[in-house]
Formats: sequence, C-alpha cells, structure tokens
Amino acid sequence: MAEQEKPKIEPGVCIPWEEKRRELPEISGDEGIVKQVWEDVDGLGYLYIWQCLVSF
Amino acid sequence: MSAEMEQLYTQRMDRYTTAMRNEKPDKIPIRPFVAEFTAKYAGYTAQEVTHDYQKAFAAARKCAADFDWDAVVGNMVYVWTGLVKAIGLKYYAVPGIELPPDTGFQYLEPPEDNAWMQPDEYDQLIEDPTGFLFNVWLPRVSTEVSPMGETTSYRNNLSFVKGGMAMMNYFNAFGTQADLLRRESGTVSALAGILKAPFDIIADKLRGYKGLCMDMFRQPDKVLAACEAMMPHLLHVAASGADPDRNVPVGLWMHRGCVPFLSPDQFERFYWPTLKQIIEGLWERGIQTLFYAEGEWNPNLKYIAQLPDLSIVYHVDRGDIFEVHKAVGHKFCLSGGIPNDLLAFGTPEDVRDCCKKIIDGVARDGGYIMDASAIMQDDSKIENVKAMTEFTREYGVY
Repeated sequence: MAEQEKPKIEPGVCIPWEEKRRELPEISGDEGIVKQVWEDVDGLGYLYIWQCLVSF
Repeated sequence: MSAEMEQLYTQRMDRYTTAMRNEKPDKIPIRPFVAEFTAKYAGYTAQEVTHDYQKAFAAARKCAADFDWDAVVGNMVYVWTGLVKAIGLKYYAVPGIELPPDTGFQYLEPPEDNAWMQPDEYDQLIEDPTGFLFNVWLPRVSTEVSPMGETTSYRNNLSFVKGGMAMMNYFNAFGTQADLLRRESGTVSALAGILKAPFDIIADKLRGYKGLCMDMFRQPDKVLAACEAMMPHLLHVAASGADPDRNVPVGLWMHRGCVPFLSPDQFERFYWPTLKQIIEGLWERGIQTLFYAEGEWNPNLKYIAQLPDLSIVYHVDRGDIFEVHKAVGHKFCLSGGIPNDLLAFGTPEDVRDCCKKIIDGVARDGGYIMDASAIMQDDSKIENVKAMTEFTREYGVY
C-alpha cells in the first residue's frame, strides 16, 4: 500500500482534529463541541511555541 | 472611571486613530515608544522592569499619568526575562544576572559555528515549521527542554507547564494594563499583536545573520522556501493578537531588512515578498501594521510604496523623514524622526527646534505621530522627553 502523504499542518494547529478524532471512541454527545474545544486548546499550544519564537 | 477620564480617553483615541488614517486630528498625537526610559523615570532599575513585569507596567503607567501622552505600549521592555529564565532560553543576557542591573537586556546571536538551525535542515523547517520549532529548535535554545528521542525529565516537563502558564498570565495582564491606563490617565494602548518578518526570524532565531547571509548565496531557493513556509504562520500569530476593534495596529519590528545588512536587490528578492504578503493579508482583515523601520530604510522606499494606502503606519528611525514624507506621505501616516542621540545628548532647546522642523515639514496636513526615532531606553534625558511632549502640545495644534 502506498504511503499516504502527510497532510500539511495549517497555522494555528499542532495536532489536527482529524488525527485526534481517530483516537476517540464513539462520541455520544455533540461532536461539534468536542471538536471546537480541542481546536481552541490545541491552538493555545501552537501559540506557545510561536510566541516563544516571535515575542521572546 | 470618571466621566472626565472617559472623555479624555475618547479624545485621545480619536486623535490617534485619525492620524493613523492619514487625516488631520485636533492635535498631533504623541505616542512615545518608551522602554527602559520608564524605569529611569519611575525609579526602577533595568533589572526590575525586565524581570518583574508588574513593575514594568507600573512604570509605564506612571509615565502615562505624568506626561501628556495620547498612547503608550503597555510594556515596551518587551522581553519578560522571568519567562525567559523559566523556559531556560539561552539567547538573552539578563540585567542583574549576566549583565549589571542597570543595563538593558541583550539579545545574543546564535553561535556562528553551531546555529540553532543547521544549514542542512531547511527541508525540515519548510515541511512543518511548527513541528521543527517544537521538536528541534526549542530543545536547542532551552536549557530545560530535552531533545526528541532522549529521556525526558522533570525539568523538561516543568518548563512547558511553567512556560505556558506564565505566558498566559503575562499576556492576560496586558488586558488589565490597558484598562488601568484608560482609567488612571485616559491613555490609549498603542499597539496590539506582534509581527516579525520571516527573514528576520530565520536570521535572529534560527540561522544567525551570518549563517543566513551565506545561505542566500549557497542555497537561495531554500531561503525563499523557508520564508514562504513561515509566512502563513506569522500572519496567523499577528492576526490572533490584533485589536478586535481594529483601532490600533499590530507592531512589526523589523531588523535586518535595511542597509547595510541587505542590499536593495537582496531586500527585493529575500526579505520583501513574504513580508508584503503578510501586511496585505492583515490589511484584508482590517488590521493596520505599525511598520517600525529601525535603521536606514529609505533605499527601500520604492518597495514600501507598493503597499496599499493606509495599510501601515510608517515609523521613521534613521531615514530622512522629509524624503519619506515626499515618497509615501500621501499613502501612510508617519511617526518618529526625533533622533535618539538628540534626546540623549542634546538640550531641550535642540529638541524643540527639531520637533518644529519635523512638524513644519511633514505634519501640516495631518498623518503624523510624534515620537523618537527608535525605542527610548535609559539614555533619553527626562527633560528632553518633556520638551518633546510640551512643545508638540503647544505647537502641534491644527
């Protein structure tokens, strides 16, 4: 099987939701909330490293 | 907040934003970029304001209250060295530790023989800039972070927890500072958000200036590709910190783009294209950029003139401000131009004469903000900064 090309990581993202989603069991509630909060907190991690680079 | 203070704040915000739209406000706004000057004025050492940001905030507020300034940056001593030491960043010399307590912090170039990014690592950076920074760069620049593949440690894990929480506290404190400036002295917070050019990031934090100079000759396509890979991330970071009300600009602090660091040809090929795209990207989002052109940027004016009208506030350091005004004054608000060595070594009369010359030359139609040429450290005399302020208040009325 050909190796899938790793998708480019977008600005604001460390671990894409799609990657995290594969690790989770079935989401019984609102998946939108889970996704939104994952992306918000993941974005904080992104900002940490980029602010280390740009501001410090 | 008193109604009087709210009215003062509104007047100052209106004055500041009107000038930045290249229009004529009631008076010339005064927006000094004061760093260690605030420590001198408020009675702190450089160590105190650099290592304890609450003291830096207090010093900035004291200056804002005592001087009749329209806008200030919440803390212009931008590197909080408390955080630097918590993360263990190797590229600063800190007042009171590596430096005497009254000397401003110093940025240290990457070692020439062992830069933070090696010349054969461009592809890694280009492929995944965030991954490279976390996995390769941070372990190299930090005394605490373990390299990938090596055994982790208590100190490694702590540096992320401490660093993250401390950074969050610090950035949140700017909101409180902005509110206090408004309430206590009706002063506007001058900027929101931060931007640096892709080329400057690669020079200052990754390859070193000398290393990057060699790369421009030996592997120019990699340098260009690296700038392009960094570009969307730097745009994202700048936009994420921008003023949600779109009143005040993002601060763009440029470093190696001017002569003699780069020739105009090198500027055109390596430095400008990606930076221009970022500035335009911010402008498309309604965000203005404070274009802090430290050094002599006039040879690059023809490129800067390519930017959309009003997209930047052009801050002049060593360039001839009258030449700048002639070239781009119809497009952009200008700020600065009062030489720092005049503020350090001149007399109040010299300063007043200089202010008059600049106001007469570039401010008659509006679109000018009074400030020193470069960030004021502790060498600016208090009497001269007072003279700059008081003269502008008297003479700079439209």
